Amino acid sequence: MSQILKSLKVPPNSASLEEARTRTFEFFRMCCRSIPHVMEIYNLHDVVSPSQLRSAAAAEVRKNANVTNPKVIDMLLFKGMEELMNIVNQSKQRHHIVGQYVVGNQGLVQDVSGKDRDASNFLKKFYSSNYS
Amino acid sequence: MGLGLLASRALRSSRIIRNSTRTIVSTPELKNADAAAAAAAADAPSDLPKRNPVGGARVHIPNPDDVIEVFVDGYPVKIPKGMTVLQACEIAGVDIPRFCYHSRLSIAGNCRMCLVEVEKSPKPVASCAMPALPGMKIKTDTPIAKKAREGVMEFLLMNHPLDCPICDQGGECDLQDQSMAFGSDRGRFTEMKRSVVDKNLGPLVKTVMTRCIQCTRCVRFASEVAGVEDLGMLGRGSGEEIGTYVEKLMTSELSGNVIDICPVGALTSKPFAFKARNWELKGTESIDVTDAVGSNIRIDSRGPEVMRVVPRLNEDINEEWISDKTRFFYDGLKRQRLNDPMIRGADGRFQAVSWRDALAIVAEVMHQIKPEEIVGVAGKLSDAESMMALKDLLNKMGSNNIFCEGNGMRPNADLRSGYIMNTSISGLEKADAFLLVGTQPRVEAAMVNARIRKTVKATNAKVGYVGPAADFNYDHEHLGTDPQTLVEIAKGSHPFSSALKNAKNPVIIVGAGVFDRDDKDAVFAAVDTIAKNNNVVRPDWNGLNVLLLNAAQAAALDLGLVPESDKCIDSAKFVYLMGADDVNLDKLPDDAFVVYQGHHGDRGVYRANVILPASAFTEKEGIYENTEGCAQITLPAVPTVGDARDDWKIVRALSEVAGVGLPYDSLGAIRSRIKTVAPNLLEVDERQPATFSTSLRPEVSQKVSATPFTPAVENFYMTDAITRASKIMAQCSALLKK
Repeated sequence: MSQILKSLKVPPNSASLEEARTRTFEFFRMCCRSIPHVMEIYNLHDVVSPSQLRSAAAAEVRKNANVTNPKVIDMLLFKGMEELMNIVNQSKQRHHIVGQYVVGNQGLVQDVSGKDRDASNFLKKFYSSNYS
Repeated sequence: MGLGLLASRALRSSRIIRNSTRTIVSTPELKNADAAAAAAAADAPSDLPKRNPVGGARVHIPNPDDVIEVFVDGYPVKIPKGMTVLQACEIAGVDIPRFCYHSRLSIAGNCRMCLVEVEKSPKPVASCAMPALPGMKIKTDTPIAKKAREGVMEFLLMNHPLDCPICDQGGECDLQDQSMAFGSDRGRFTEMKRSVVDKNLGPLVKTVMTRCIQCTRCVRFASEVAGVEDLGMLGRGSGEEIGTYVEKLMTSELSGNVIDICPVGALTSKPFAFKARNWELKGTESIDVTDAVGSNIRIDSRGPEVMRVVPRLNEDINEEWISDKTRFFYDGLKRQRLNDPMIRGADGRFQAVSWRDALAIVAEVMHQIKPEEIVGVAGKLSDAESMMALKDLLNKMGSNNIFCEGNGMRPNADLRSGYIMNTSISGLEKADAFLLVGTQPRVEAAMVNARIRKTVKATNAKVGYVGPAADFNYDHEHLGTDPQTLVEIAKGSHPFSSALKNAKNPVIIVGAGVFDRDDKDAVFAAVDTIAKNNNVVRPDWNGLNVLLLNAAQAAALDLGLVPESDKCIDSAKFVYLMGADDVNLDKLPDDAFVVYQGHHGDRGVYRANVILPASAFTEKEGIYENTEGCAQITLPAVPTVGDARDDWKIVRALSEVAGVGLPYDSLGAIRSRIKTVAPNLLEVDERQPATFSTSLRPEVSQKVSATPFTPAVENFYMTDAITRASKIMAQCSALLKK
């Protein structure tokens, strides 16, 4: 255990925004490269396509597009790397991946029909639950 | 340790105290009461903290001359003459421990827990039975009083089992609380405890008679309030026990209240036995909807389940009692519930669908039908908001055929005084003669019946009854069974008319069962004549009442739920039943499309084509108006079942799907809509009397028929969808219905 800890290195902080940007791209490419493996180990072929997962990862990165502080970007990269490692090492289970990256924020029940697109807020709330 | 030694110890210790702290009462100058009062007033430190009466009670002093002043722990308090020492202490803000005393029952004075010390009295006195006298100096916190309480506690616990961990009263037990507060930390009793055989009082009240401390509250309640002489005291001394004299069930519609008044766990609720502890329960203050009285209740729930229903104090409506139906119907809320929107398929079976599909189908069908063939029926348990929304929806669709079941097909909603209880429920206590027309208050409104019984007992008011043979728990005269009797009374040829004439505050109560009669206008005209001839309606007294049956009726009439045609059901092609299960659909054409919106799979569902699940009154906020015209609000205690929605939301959503959107999206908005129709419904918890009397009614040419009155409620325990689904109510109907 101590051996592993010794070999584990935290990279030095990015000196400039430019460096942080490069690192971000590197991280995103790493994500993209691991996607086929992830599809394999979590058996995701019948629920999602690699391109969808790629755009999910891109969306996660774009969530923080407005961050300009290199220190914060480093921290976010660290967290992203941690998440990626958790996925690749299969520390997660299939439903985590499906819930977070396949179904996403829209929830399990998705209305794709677009029938009540012009319905009022009241009706949309009414269809989803008795409680607002 | 022997008793003699105990007694001598007690004497010795008290003597020591007397020498040190108490003034000696045989001092000659204190024998003069006035001087004593003056001395006490001088003694009383002027900076005593202001004390408030127990429970914020207010004292009503009818005659200012009858005021006396007593001193409670040195604090002067003014009370009307005739009050007991205990009541004086309560007004002074001192709560005296008690077991047998109950403010609504007669005084027994047998538990001795309320002993206090009174100056110049040689022994502690039982404060519940001792009248307060002018200048009395009451001491509630002296060593003597404390010692007396401790002794009484020890005697009470001598034969009381220490089974609090398995007792349902545990946590809300007077004996438990008071033994913690006033009892000794150990007893001196080592022999066997007494045991008593449990009595079977029926499906509602569970008895563990060994726990009984013989306070006799239940006996007094049964004979004084409930009016059944079922319970009594048997045996003497240590063999004393409460029981029915012979093997017999307690057949009263108020029997559940003995559970509340029992200070120990001797009488507990049978359906609630071993279900929950009171500290796990969440209380929600709500309103009962099983009859038109609107009793104030507290719904105790645990998570999504209603565990029990207990009364709330409301002097104007239910005092502190509720009927057995109110208390025990709650298990019906868990059975037969509708939880998904459903559509009846071609094979006659229901199939669960989404709300979107269900509403789309209803909206589509509704548009294919001529407006005059659309009929809406509000059910017994509907709240004002949903009835308002349904009426607005139907009116927008072009139909005006909407009514509330129980109001008949030709309701007269023009004069509010023509359908509410104008005297008010508490006002009945001032009456000295009653004429009951086609109503059996004991089964139609048990709390109103309790009020009438209270009046009859207090003032010996005469009760005349016109209607089918019925069960009363007070003296009454059965005058006849058909409306012809009313005509005789109106003419003055009937012997009872003289009783009405001589009465100072006569009361006439017409049952809502009359609404369904063909000659209802003639019956009401006859009643109006009786009222006019006997001075029933005066500026200072309005004794002309209608006793409604259902929680929704008064609000429905206030909101103007009156059908355009009384034959609308016969020609209807689209019927919207909003919780209506008792409406007669025999004449409905076979090809009519029926939508049932409600919470229980009851009679309405058998005929329905589409089911829209709604929430029950324990799950929603809604305004209900009771029979005396007092609007009250229910509050949600538990979440809704399955995919159900609140009633008004369903109607509002349907209106949008049908393309006739109603202009309100929230409870607040729909209430401001109600305000424009019936502003009295928003005056919550305050009775709004009717403005005009029924004397403005037009003349009626109709003649009364000779058809006898029929009972409006056949089975007290099962009157609506929830109570019909309840297992406990089914047991009660099987065992207790005569």
